[in-house]
Amino acid sequence: MAKVEIKSLVKSFGTVSVIKGINIDIPDGSFTVLVGPSGCGKSTLLRQIAGLDMPTSGSIMIGDRDVTFEEPSDRGISMVFQSYALFPHMTVRQNVEFGMKLAKVPAEERAKRVANAAAVLHLEPLLDRKPAALSGGQRQRVAIGRSIVRNPQVFLFDEPLSNLDAALRTQMRVELAALHKKLKATMIYVTHDQVEAMTLADQIVVLNAGHVEQIGSPSELYERPQTEFVATFIGSPKMNLLKGRAAEAGKAATIGVRPEQISIGPDGMWEAKLAFVEYLGNENIIYLDSEFGQVIARAAAAVDTPFGSTVRFGYSPQNVHRFGADGQRVA
Amino acid sequence: MKTSHFLAGLGKTAFLSVASIFVLVPMAVTVLGGFKSNGDLRENPFGLPQVWDFSFFSDILSQPSFWAYLGNSLVISLGSVVMTIIVAGAAAYVFAQIRFFGSRMLQSYLLLGLVFPFATAILPLFIKVRDLGLLDTYWAVILPQTAFGTALAILLFKTFFEQLPREMFEAAYVEGCGYIRFFWQFTLPLSTPIIATVGTFVFVNSWNNFLLPLIVLNDRDLYTWPLGIMQFRGEYVTEWNRTLAFITLTIVPAVVFFLAAQKYIVAGLTGGAVKG
Amino acid sequence: MASGTLRSQGWARKLRLGGPSSTVLIMLPPALILFTLFVILPLIDAAYYSLYDWNGYGTPTDYVGTENFTKAANHSVFHRAILNTLIGLGVAILIQMPLALALAIAIYKNSWVNTVFRLVFFVPFILAEVATGLIWSFVFDGNTGLAAGLANIMGTEPFFVLASRDYAFYAIMAVVVWKYFGFHMMIYIAALQSVPDEQIEAAKIEGAKRGQIIWHVLIPGIKPALMVSGFFAVIGSLQLFDVILPLTGGGPSNTTHTVVSYLYSFGLLRLNYGFGSAVGVMLFVAAVVVAVVYQRQMNKGAAQ
Repeated sequence: MAKVEIKSLVKSFGTVSVIKGINIDIPDGSFTVLVGPSGCGKSTLLRQIAGLDMPTSGSIMIGDRDVTFEEPSDRGISMVFQSYALFPHMTVRQNVEFGMKLAKVPAEERAKRVANAAAVLHLEPLLDRKPAALSGGQRQRVAIGRSIVRNPQVFLFDEPLSNLDAALRTQMRVELAALHKKLKATMIYVTHDQVEAMTLADQIVVLNAGHVEQIGSPSELYERPQTEFVATFIGSPKMNLLKGRAAEAGKAATIGVRPEQISIGPDGMWEAKLAFVEYLGNENIIYLDSEFGQVIARAAAAVDTPFGSTVRFGYSPQNVHRFGADGQRVA
Repeated sequence: MKTSHFLAGLGKTAFLSVASIFVLVPMAVTVLGGFKSNGDLRENPFGLPQVWDFSFFSDILSQPSFWAYLGNSLVISLGSVVMTIIVAGAAAYVFAQIRFFGSRMLQSYLLLGLVFPFATAILPLFIKVRDLGLLDTYWAVILPQTAFGTALAILLFKTFFEQLPREMFEAAYVEGCGYIRFFWQFTLPLSTPIIATVGTFVFVNSWNNFLLPLIVLNDRDLYTWPLGIMQFRGEYVTEWNRTLAFITLTIVPAVVFFLAAQKYIVAGLTGGAVKG
Repeated sequence: MASGTLRSQGWARKLRLGGPSSTVLIMLPPALILFTLFVILPLIDAAYYSLYDWNGYGTPTDYVGTENFTKAANHSVFHRAILNTLIGLGVAILIQMPLALALAIAIYKNSWVNTVFRLVFFVPFILAEVATGLIWSFVFDGNTGLAAGLANIMGTEPFFVLASRDYAFYAIMAVVVWKYFGFHMMIYIAALQSVPDEQIEAAKIEGAKRGQIIWHVLIPGIKPALMVSGFFAVIGSLQLFDVILPLTGGGPSNTTHTVVSYLYSFGLLRLNYGFGSAVGVMLFVAAVVVAVVYQRQMNKGAAQ
């Protein structure tokens, strides 16, 4: 178990900087999720931590050790890849054992650790099969098993659930959360899916265009987004950003209101046209055309007004997020 | 409509039959000729032998030199296959797996080998082999064959290696597996189709090669079978049936093997052709 | 941390055994050394030897300038060898490739009958050139071979075609077609099978007849394969040697030499290494010209 510190990390490919000076502290035993849109640098950052790429400048500490120039295998990390990257010509057992064999772990110890991992991940009946004979979820478990047996200080995950179908993804999410509880190890997890980020993380790092937008717990990010980017990136449907008269009234360059905080009714502040309603059973997503552009509301109650008719909407001032012209939160 | 279809089909069948006869008759008369007496061969070149005479075949099979020729060809061909797979495989692996300064330039340099006919430099090649003291050794054939086969082999290997998933290498690398170990433990075991293609291709070229052994092998004990067969033909000029029996004994097993492996030969030809 | 030390630490990691740099330094040299030693250096040596009168022993000292080249240029046998090489090229392009294409179109679809035909047509290609030469020198033998049998049947005098100054080379051409058409056919078959069925079906729906489909859909669809096989035909014609030796050895009266068999007979066998190298250099230049022209054409084709 170990904390991870990333200090002033920069990574450039030629003249293009993909990571532009990042500082992150990842506490010992935390489940930290790196999230952001594609191209934000999150996978590149994970590869620097793993040692698959070398940073242009800056340093990476694992525990109290500077590992910036160490080999991946010497860093005390393990990694689960998006495509699982199982070795197709080896059985599950050989896959799981491979790293320990290279590290010259004695056979007895190897067998013990494989048995442990297999028990945790329900792999016992699969140990002598080849990866081609496994389902997607089983392959995923083998990949995790391969990383567990090395007793790493830090687990790295690179979008490990993105190749699974929706139902399996939910199930594996729960299993990963349980695994973290059991192992109490530091885990760093990359995803572009904010639902995965919100459900798994104790700490989320939102990355955008090579820099950190915000670091915080899921509830901090949801309730007090520090930038417009974070405000719109976390939460679905995304936060409404209103400018113009609404912003002036809130004394900010832009104000943000979450869809569930928008109320529709005759005493609303602003006028809008009802454009469209998506019926989801337990709730309705309501699309409005207003002077501020499209506004999305979320309501349990059905709307019985015909499309195209004029309605009024409003929100209470304490639910408003206020942002300055630079996109940063004000007070 | 019906009749035109029928006529087209008839024309096609006739065309294919004529082509097949053109291909097969010389081979058939060769095989049958080895069983005929000289007189029978002259009177009746097309038909079955009047008397099946196995003596030429048994004569040749009981000659140690016949087996020596085949043994030499086998050693040289297998040696060339192993050398090409290791040498070209290693180079292709470096080009496919590692980015380094000069990589493109060195690739273009090696691919020059696709263009040059073997024969252009055959004299200096002979001198080079002689100066290295390799004349009348198996290496005199194996090393130049490997050198000339390297270009195509690198091309085929590299294309295949680049299709192996990158993440698999990274997964092994994170576990502490180095580049060279990865080549032996992952790349080669996962590349059996292309190894079969390159191996078959090199084997066939080596097995049939004539010009290079002709120039660098003078010792009859080291003769490959194409040299042996020319030697044999020279000794029995008047006895075609004997020569035909010899030819039959060398081509029948080769044809059987090559037909079994023709999938790989064609893959090597067309793969190299498409990329070249 | 200064970027200088950062970089040097990075290099230290790259150079470690099993790391990328050491891997390049271990795994690449065997191919480079073999290739340089047995392909490139001989080519360079050939250019050097070609300027000397040399019998292959000791170091070449008798500098003769371009005399070896002018000697070849004035040698009637060399003229004949070039002419033969060009005839070989003509036969390859005008007879062998069309024949191979016709057969490929006839049997490119997968069925067991077609597979049998494919194997039959491919067998000559995998036979050794030497065996091919011997088989056909039997076929052409006016005393005992097929030629004798035919003469017998027709009641004429036996004809020794390989001993004929006028016809021997055409007989060799028949052997070359026999040996190599299956190779070109296989290239075409692989290409024809990758022409999408939708294109053919669309043409059928538009009302195209079989001949029109072949001409307007299939042949344009395999143009790259035709270029490739053309390239192999040219390079193959330049290198033609192995079948010549068992069939005629270049005779009668040196009428059936190709450039390579000429090089072999007049350079190697007669110990004129300087002269033979000069012929090799000319062959090399021809191969480079062919490769450059081919590359240009391919690039043009790719650009369109």
